[in-house]
Amino acid sequence: MIEPEQPATPAIRLTCVSKSFDGGRTHAVAELTLDVRRGETLVLLGSSGCGKTTTLKMINRLVEPTTGTIELEGEDTARLDPVALRRRIGYAFQGIGLLPHMTVEENAALVPRLLGWSVERRRERARELLRRVGLDPDEFARRLPEQLSGGQQQRVGFARALAADPAVLLMDEPFGALDALTRESLQRELLDLGRELAKTVVFVTHDLFEAVLLGDRIAVLHRGRLEQIGTPAELVGTPATPFVRELFRRPAEQLDTFEQLLSRTRGTR
Amino acid sequence: MIAAALSDLLAERSGELLVRTGEHVVLTGLSTGVAVLVGVPLGILVHRVRWLRAPVLGAAGVLQTVPSLAMLTVLLVVLGRIGMAPAVAALVMYALLPIVVNTETGLAGVPAQAVEAATGCGMSRGQLLRLVELPLALPVIVAGVRTAAVVSVGVATLSAFIGAGGLGQFINEGLALLNTRLLLLGAIPAALLALLVHLSVGAVGRVLDPRRRRRRAVRLAAVAAPVVLVLAALGGQSLSAGRVRIGCKNFGEQLILGELLAQLVETRAELPVLRYFNLGGTMICHSALTHDQIDVYPEYTGTGLVTVLGAPVDGDADAVLERVASGYAERFGLEWLAPLGFENTYAMLVRRAAAEEHGWRMLSDLAADAGELRAGLTDEFARRADGYPGLAAAYDLHFGEVVDLAPSLLYEALVRGEVDVICAFSTDGRIEAYDLFPLRDDRRFFPPYEAAFVVRSELLDELPEVRAAAALLAGRIDGDTMRRLNYEVDERKRTPADVAREFLTTSGLLGG
Repeated sequence: MIEPEQPATPAIRLTCVSKSFDGGRTHAVAELTLDVRRGETLVLLGSSGCGKTTTLKMINRLVEPTTGTIELEGEDTARLDPVALRRRIGYAFQGIGLLPHMTVEENAALVPRLLGWSVERRRERARELLRRVGLDPDEFARRLPEQLSGGQQQRVGFARALAADPAVLLMDEPFGALDALTRESLQRELLDLGRELAKTVVFVTHDLFEAVLLGDRIAVLHRGRLEQIGTPAELVGTPATPFVRELFRRPAEQLDTFEQLLSRTRGTR
Repeated sequence: MIAAALSDLLAERSGELLVRTGEHVVLTGLSTGVAVLVGVPLGILVHRVRWLRAPVLGAAGVLQTVPSLAMLTVLLVVLGRIGMAPAVAALVMYALLPIVVNTETGLAGVPAQAVEAATGCGMSRGQLLRLVELPLALPVIVAGVRTAAVVSVGVATLSAFIGAGGLGQFINEGLALLNTRLLLLGAIPAALLALLVHLSVGAVGRVLDPRRRRRRAVRLAAVAAPVVLVLAALGGQSLSAGRVRIGCKNFGEQLILGELLAQLVETRAELPVLRYFNLGGTMICHSALTHDQIDVYPEYTGTGLVTVLGAPVDGDADAVLERVASGYAERFGLEWLAPLGFENTYAMLVRRAAAEEHGWRMLSDLAADAGELRAGLTDEFARRADGYPGLAAAYDLHFGEVVDLAPSLLYEALVRGEVDVICAFSTDGRIEAYDLFPLRDDRRFFPPYEAAFVVRSELLDELPEVRAAAALLAGRIDGDTMRRLNYEVDERKRTPADVAREFLTTSGLLGG
């Protein structure tokens, strides 16, 4: 694992972070050390149970680490008020988690509301964000989440995560529940949005293609441990462990098989 | 037939029906309101502090299983008063369980994802509760409140036993007088009220449902409306200041005596009266009196001696009166007024014709023939020491056969000749009606139960007119008179108020 020198303070720094849910017998996350650079999108990649979601939740203290320190902009998060900390961080996750009894507008403006913004300012901000994520506020603002499609709900989820203009966004498989077509278009839009807004994003997924598409860098986790962190090219080109090599080889093989199948189908016509 | 009879009754007592319905709304509303204020926080606590769940829900469940009358009586003793307070307290106890359980269930049913999303967005615990958990649990909580309120309407009918009024007052009176129309006059409006409460709590719940978009003002109005209604009904309750509060127990004779005094106080003393009639028994009347909840009620000397003072039975009427009078004055600051002139004690009855034929005038006369006779006795009388066993010893009176009969069958059995002697209460109106003959208790075996009013001494100091009014009845009602009045009420189903008015008028006691 090669970690280049960081001139500035990283947006997020994890140092020797471990989490055990059973008093130390097993570890969901073990001695994890990594930096998230300002403005980058770091993907935490791994299969279910690898500790990627736990890692994400430790950043906004939905889960407290057993040992180790996590810093946000150089501040030890353990010393911050967790409620205030969470209001500084945008959070979107699988299944979206919109509040079912609040309108689209109320959901989008939730964090500004918690921060005590005035009603007009909140409304203005919500409408602006809805437009930004591609939802017409005049049409959608007063609807309830259940009146939206899955893709539209996820857009509202993004709007909510962005509402207070946080420097850091945490995203836990936000596209997990969406169909392939919706997912692809949203992925592209998120990519554009991320570049445009220059946010620091920590993105959890088990989908290799999504990781490669969205990640400036990818951290591969396996059984709570960091296998390798680097750009997609580095992971493919110089896999540090057999696990990483295997991880990237299998889809490549599948792609080959898929193309062969396609050409054979064409051949029989 | 019943419908027509009921509509007459309705027309006659529509004013009282309105008052009783108002009282019922207050009982139900206050108790449900208090139960919500206590139960919802308790439900939240139980949801957050898991180990409290079993003990709290267990305790609420146990409260639910306490029989209503027992609960009312216990609270009456604990709170030391009759009326609204113990009734509301009892209703709150019953209403707690559904509200606590539903609050807890509702909160447990809030999707974990919504809670995590809200926490992840930076909600504090208070905000989480207020903005997410309670709104999402609301439909379940409202269902609990609805159950509690409807149950309260039902249980509140029992509150009349401890003088809290409500529609149960009609039911109590109907039970005391075996009058179906009165029963229905209480039961039908109570059932309608239960239905109305069911519908309106549901409607409030729908207005509050956060998934339906409503203006804040509309929501506030939905919550405020029932509160205002209950407070208005509460405000409409007549205040007791400056009124003479007359109580009585829940059977016909007591109702007549209560009415007699009430009408005299109203017409002769010209003081307003509050009637706390149909109280559920001696101890309820007595504690109401000692706790300054009522001013006066009719009692029997023997009952005062044995039940209230806890003294042994004494056969001499004057001695008993003297003992209760001094005992009550010393211990409770209560005064026994002059006896009314009759006793309501146990009596042995025979057919008048048989009495004449055999020359039976008193119990001693019966002893010689007893071996040939069949006696119809209630189970209670056959067992009590002051019943048949004591009687048999005192008079050496041993019936040839004893038949166990339900109280309601005794008179029929005697009239038809199936039995020759029955036990009875000496002022029962049917004695006269069936031409029966009460044998004199010549050896004074049965304890004396002379009827008289017991009054708070303070009231007599403040309002001597009450003493004067009550004195008009002293010695004026003998056993025959009381039996006749009881017959009018118990058998001919006339109202105690009517019968009392007629008696006062014909006796010239209403003045003029």
